[in-house]
Amino acid sequence: MIREFPVTAVQEALHRRWRLLIPVYILLAIIVLIGIVGAILVLILLWQLAQNRTPHYADIIEEFKYGSIGTEPHSGIPYRIWRALPTLFPEDFAGRQDYSAFGFVYESDADGRQRELPIGISRRTYRDVDIVWFNCATCHTGTVSATMTDPNGRQRTGRHIIPGMPSNNLYLERFIRFLLNAGADERLSPDKLIAEIDKTGPKLGPIDELIYRWYIIPTLREGLLERRTRLFPLLGQQPPWGPGRVDTFNPYKLIQANIPLASLQQSELIGIADFPSIFNQGPREGMHLHWDGDNTSLAERNLSAAIGAGVTPDSVDFDAIDRVARWVKTLQPPPSPYQPDATAVARGRDIFMSQCSACHGFADSGGYRFIGSTIGQVEPNDKLRADPHRLDSYTEKFREFQLANFFVGTPHQFKYFVKTNGYANLPLDGLWLRAPYLHNGSIPTLAALLQAPGQRPITFIRGVDRLDMKNGGFEAPACDPSTPPANAFCFDTRLPGNSNTGHLYGTDLPEAAKTNLLAYLLTF
Amino acid sequence: MTENAPQGSAALATLAGIKDVIFTPLKFNNLEVKNRIFRSSVSGRFDNEDGSLTQTRINWECKFAKGGIGAIISSYVPVLMEGRIIAGYATIHRDDFIPYWQKLGNAVHSFDCKFIMQLSHSGRQMDVPGVHNYARPTLSATSKNESLHGFLCRAMTLGEVHHTIDAFAQGAWRAREAGLDGVELHAANGYLFTQFLSSGINDRTDEYGGSLANRARFLLDVISAIRSKVGREFHLQVKISAVDHNNVVPWEKKGNTLSESVQVAQWCEAAGADAIHVSTGSLFPHPLNPPGGFSFETITATYDAMISSGVSTLRNYFLFRYPMLRPIFYWAWFRMKRGRPIEGVGEDEARAIKAAVKIPVISTGGWQTASRIRAAINSNACDGVSIARSLIANSNLPKFWADGHDLPPSPCTYCNRCLLNAPKNPMGCYEPLRFANHDAMVEQLMTIYNTHPVLQVPRPDEVVP
Repeated sequence: MIREFPVTAVQEALHRRWRLLIPVYILLAIIVLIGIVGAILVLILLWQLAQNRTPHYADIIEEFKYGSIGTEPHSGIPYRIWRALPTLFPEDFAGRQDYSAFGFVYESDADGRQRELPIGISRRTYRDVDIVWFNCATCHTGTVSATMTDPNGRQRTGRHIIPGMPSNNLYLERFIRFLLNAGADERLSPDKLIAEIDKTGPKLGPIDELIYRWYIIPTLREGLLERRTRLFPLLGQQPPWGPGRVDTFNPYKLIQANIPLASLQQSELIGIADFPSIFNQGPREGMHLHWDGDNTSLAERNLSAAIGAGVTPDSVDFDAIDRVARWVKTLQPPPSPYQPDATAVARGRDIFMSQCSACHGFADSGGYRFIGSTIGQVEPNDKLRADPHRLDSYTEKFREFQLANFFVGTPHQFKYFVKTNGYANLPLDGLWLRAPYLHNGSIPTLAALLQAPGQRPITFIRGVDRLDMKNGGFEAPACDPSTPPANAFCFDTRLPGNSNTGHLYGTDLPEAAKTNLLAYLLTF
Repeated sequence: MTENAPQGSAALATLAGIKDVIFTPLKFNNLEVKNRIFRSSVSGRFDNEDGSLTQTRINWECKFAKGGIGAIISSYVPVLMEGRIIAGYATIHRDDFIPYWQKLGNAVHSFDCKFIMQLSHSGRQMDVPGVHNYARPTLSATSKNESLHGFLCRAMTLGEVHHTIDAFAQGAWRAREAGLDGVELHAANGYLFTQFLSSGINDRTDEYGGSLANRARFLLDVISAIRSKVGREFHLQVKISAVDHNNVVPWEKKGNTLSESVQVAQWCEAAGADAIHVSTGSLFPHPLNPPGGFSFETITATYDAMISSGVSTLRNYFLFRYPMLRPIFYWAWFRMKRGRPIEGVGEDEARAIKAAVKIPVISTGGWQTASRIRAAINSNACDGVSIARSLIANSNLPKFWADGHDLPPSPCTYCNRCLLNAPKNPMGCYEPLRFANHDAMVEQLMTIYNTHPVLQVPRPDEVVP
């Protein structure tokens, strides 16, 4: 194009101004460019900060096992760090590349490969970071090794995963202790952790690395150290939990409710109990729920349990909890694989109906019947004489705190919690999967439950999922706590909170009657 | 009785034989005008590119003369081609234009109306420079660009100042030679004289800048030069802005105050001026001159004729064109109007100046209502009023008043569309409310183009190869 001379003085002035202002225009262009790039980065950042998504599963059992209930944002671990921890801390993972060392159960995918996450661990993308943490299945899915009949009538021998049964393998205390110790371990420093993250998955991009180095890892460590400071003094005053057990309320008091340990009474510091099963929740509506029967609302009990798992009022996924809650209302335990003598069962049923069914309901050919004059009611512990620690761990003071602070001003505000004086009479559906027995899992088998306290096993191995085909429950050989066998947990009933006293019902029956009663119980 | 029927007091006065002050003669030192109504300076692009006037201009001026006013103050008449505001306005920079102006004077006189030529120089306020001027910055008192449109300019050298003073004197002489009744120096509204007078514009460091006396020196030198050239008996009046209000563009300085302008008026009187014509504002148009509305749609349709004239015009066009940006200009423009009337917007300032001088004072600014004009004259605010827009709407306005009406049936609405069309379209009334339809409006605009087909075959010596 031919360059023309300006025609008017104004054009000449504008040309001159343009030439004079070229540096200014370049500067402006740079500023605008930086502004645009900045705006794009801000938009990306805002988009990332707005991210809060999680996979949903069409199959409700998959949803139960792997779906999120909203625990991840404020309680979880970034997925990339979750993957790196086994190789970073091999001594805690028994050299395995997964979390089975803590009792987490893994399934295989359609190709027979072990799934990346165990049952009970869900994944959520929060602020564009994948985070994993607990869901309902963490505490309510266990395994049993037995020959069982599947829904198609085929006999299957091996290890069966049973959604809804207590998580009999999960050694939660060991997992918590590992995480809290890792927070104080130099291996969780950014350099070492990022190097391990890069080894155990796709290398982090430069921006992600910056975010991990300066935000995610320091925040995680801060959180772990803070929790360590609060929880370790409590754990130091408690006996080891062992697999399948949890202290429901005390960590809840210290972490979620932010109550100082010093303000708790000595009598409430040991609240360790077995994970419960969650079969047939529908018929339990209105009954006293939890071991001590401290709540009569399924929805409120579910939300409280979710808080214990890690949800907060900001992060809770009500829809996901509701979907699972609706499913477990009718969730049936698998049929008992025991095949006791039918005559003995019939005789045992008579005994049970006369002496036990009022408190526990009963089973017949149509399934479990949630019928009984005191079923779901609280039995005063003065009468029951079971170990009182779990009962004492839930206090009137904490109840008042719950009612005054959780979900205040929302339809979900807690209002059904009560302080009781005993333990609830629970329906016994799926009883064969719920060993060891009593709230604290202090009696390994049904046969032992029918023995006088002095004759019940003092110590036994917990965490074995093979059925004791004779006594009902899981195999639980005796052990010496001073020399526990490798890779097994020796439960000592002499420790605080572990007492196997109480529930003397049936202990004075003749042996033959006990045999018949046991035969009936094995059919539940 | 309708609004426009003869009003009680005027009718009674007429019946009683008392002369309406509007229609009493106004005597200047060297001129007597039959009544107190002056057609204020207003024009359109009627004339030839070389500055010679046309029949259209004669028609235009006669339209008002016939309407009954006492005197016409001509449109802005540049004394030099470099002082045009809009190409297409007649000039007085050449002796051979004297016969044209003589023809115009005769035509106006035939309607018993006086004709006063407004001698002018745009300085930097040059809206449409035309082929003569677009290749150079205009001459001004300053080298700072004009504030509203960004018109380019250059500060005059002393030699150029003296040359311009002489051009004014020559212009006055040509006006007298053409038989016109007087001259007015346009020392108001932002043109060259204002650029010297205003403390908000004049940044000179020589004897024509600094103090008020220095800033007024150019105007007083021109008066002196005219008097030297045409003598004491030729009518000479000066139009000044009583207050500059120079900060229409908010970051500009405010400019001259009323007390400074009173002093300037007194100096003009002492130097030989026969009258003071009082206006407002240091640029044109200005929110207070002419007062009234501002049609964004109209300016959007016409301002394109000025886009190439200044370095800030494109910015302004965007401010006019896009409704989202209009509030910016609206705020700047209308903030000065608050609390001020449209009719008689400069009455108080005229009164202040009249109190300070002995020569007659003419006030301009929205005058249209007989009773208000009468009151202003009777209260010594002024001796006469000058009107442009209201006469464009009703050129026979004095006749309505003479018949005892206070307002014509279809008065000027002060919409200012006539003003906003000036750079691009024929001068006339563009108020759609005053016409049945667009065709009627165009028909009104075309009336002044009713010329006679006296085309001649040029002689061979008139054709330049």
